[in-house]
Parts: sequence; C-alpha cells; structure tokens
Amino acid sequence: MDYSNLRRQIISMKKSLFDQKRLLLRAKFLFTTKLIFFIFLPVLFLQGYLDEQFNQLEELQDDSSPNFVEEVVALFFKDSSRLLTNIEQALEKCPQDFYRLDSLVHQFKGSGSSIGALRMKNECSMFKAHCNERNLEGCRRSLQKMKREHATLKQKLETYFQVNSTL
Amino acid sequence: LVMKNLLKLFGALEIVDLFILFAVSPMAFKNQRSVPSALVIEDIKVDCVILLRMLQKLNCEATVARNGKEAVGLFLQGKTFDIVFSDKDMPVMTGPEAVAKIRAMGITDVKIVGISADFGGMEAFMQAGADVFVPKPMKLETLDSIVQEVIHKKNMSI
Repeated sequence: MDYSNLRRQIISMKKSLFDQKRLLLRAKFLFTTKLIFFIFLPVLFLQGYLDEQFNQLEELQDDSSPNFVEEVVALFFKDSSRLLTNIEQALEKCPQDFYRLDSLVHQFKGSGSSIGALRMKNECSMFKAHCNERNLEGCRRSLQKMKREHATLKQKLETYFQVNSTL
Repeated sequence: LVMKNLLKLFGALEIVDLFILFAVSPMAFKNQRSVPSALVIEDIKVDCVILLRMLQKLNCEATVARNGKEAVGLFLQGKTFDIVFSDKDMPVMTGPEAVAKIRAMGITDVKIVGISADFGGMEAFMQAGADVFVPKPMKLETLDSIVQEVIHKKNMSI
C-alpha cells in the first residue's frame, strides 16, 4: 500500500472521529437543553412564580403566531417596568395620593395576572391592602417585594425563552 | 301512524320537492356562517393583545378602542358590532359609563361583556346595561362559549 493512500485513509479516519465527537457533543447539548426545558417551566409553576394563565398564553401560540408568548411577556415587562417607576414616584410624593397608587397597582396586578405572574399578583394584593389602610411603610415594603419578584420572574422567563429558542 | 300521516302529507308533494325540503335543512344554513365582529375597549396593551389573539383564534373580526369615549365615538359614527368587550377602569371614560351611553343610544341588540380584575365591577357593569360580566383574566373557553352564542344568534337571524 503506498504512502499517500495510507495518509488519505488516516485523514479520513481522523475526520470521521472528529465528526463523531462533534455529533456526541451536539447530542449532549440537546439532551441537556431538553432536560432544562422540560423541568424548567414546571419548576416555575411549582415555586409559585406562574399559574395556569401562562398555559392559556401557550394555547394561543401556533404556527401563525409562533412567538406569541415571548412577545406578550416582553410587552408585559416593558409596560410593567414603567408602571413600577410611576408607583415609586407616586409613593415618594408628599402628600401621597393613595387613590392614584391603588389605580397604578391595579393596572400592574391586572396585566401581571394576564400572563400568569402569580407571585407578583399576590404581592400587588398586599400593596392594595396597605393602600386601603393608608399604611405608607407597608406600601414601601410591598413595592420592594414587587420589584424583586418582577426582576426574578423576568430573569427566569428570559432564560426559559433562550433555552426554548435553541431547541 | 305517524309515518302514515307523514306519507299522506308528503304524498301531495313531488319527489323533487321532497328532496329539496329535506336537503335544505337548518344545518345547511350553518355553512353560511358570517364572521362576528367584536369591539374591544381596553387601555392596557397586554390585556388587549391577549384578547385580540383569542378573538383571532375564534375567527372574529376585532376593532379596538382605548377607552370608553373612543368606543362611544365609533357607535356615533354608525359602526356596528355583534359583541363588545369592555374593561372597567380606563382613562377619559370608564367601561360602565360607556356601556350606559351605548345603551342610551338605543343600541340594545349588541351583546356587551364587562371584563375586570375587580369583582366589584360586576355590579357597575350590570347596572349600566351589560349582558354579562367576566372576571379577568378571561379564559379562551369562556370567550369561546360567549362567541358561539353570538354566532348562533346571528345565524338564526339570517
């Protein structure tokens, strides 16, 4: 067998091994991301971040509107960030307009419940209760919790959509 | 005996007429289903987008008004709708205020659905003249049953 032929065979074998390694890595990646995908969302439900309304959004997603859930969630976080700023500003005004505060939180709660943001919805209810009692400190504490829940849910859903897009 | 009487009755008709009578049944008219038109009165974008998508899934045509005043304006322009979905709390004019004005215009045949995350909204809407109140967030199956009722009524009037 001549040298060049042997060399060609070795190169071919090397390429084949490299392709197999790449395939193996790809399979591991897909398995891991699928694993994350199939446990990630249920965990969000179990931990109380999301409720059944999120499933309703997924039912509305189809081939004609393949990114519907992500688009609605993005719209929610865009609007709700602005609302949180308005609530914070309204809280710091003196004297506080509890009627306006209640109205702002009502909007925040409404759109949050529309995407199934359960923890945020519950925290909004606490805020409204403090508003009714004209409890300024209670409102401030609730607002901080609302902001934390908002940031946490945003991060978790962004991760979920990122993983989803790789599948 | 029933069959005997039926045969006597239909004996007066030609065979062709009989065929037409049984073929052109009420079921056939369902194929002439017209698309229901909906007015969505909602200022919160997320809620509006979701409701519009649900209506799209149910093959409804939808128009949006951002508050009660815009909605009343559409009716004053002579626009007609089969069904109206109205949020309660909106700037400029609230849902119940708009519903009261629409009914005061003599528009009684349109089905009006009040929607709110505030359960207290039910009384305000019903007093204003709404037909039904649905708490937010609305489920697709709830919306489907409301729309099917409107379609059925629309088809019966054709």
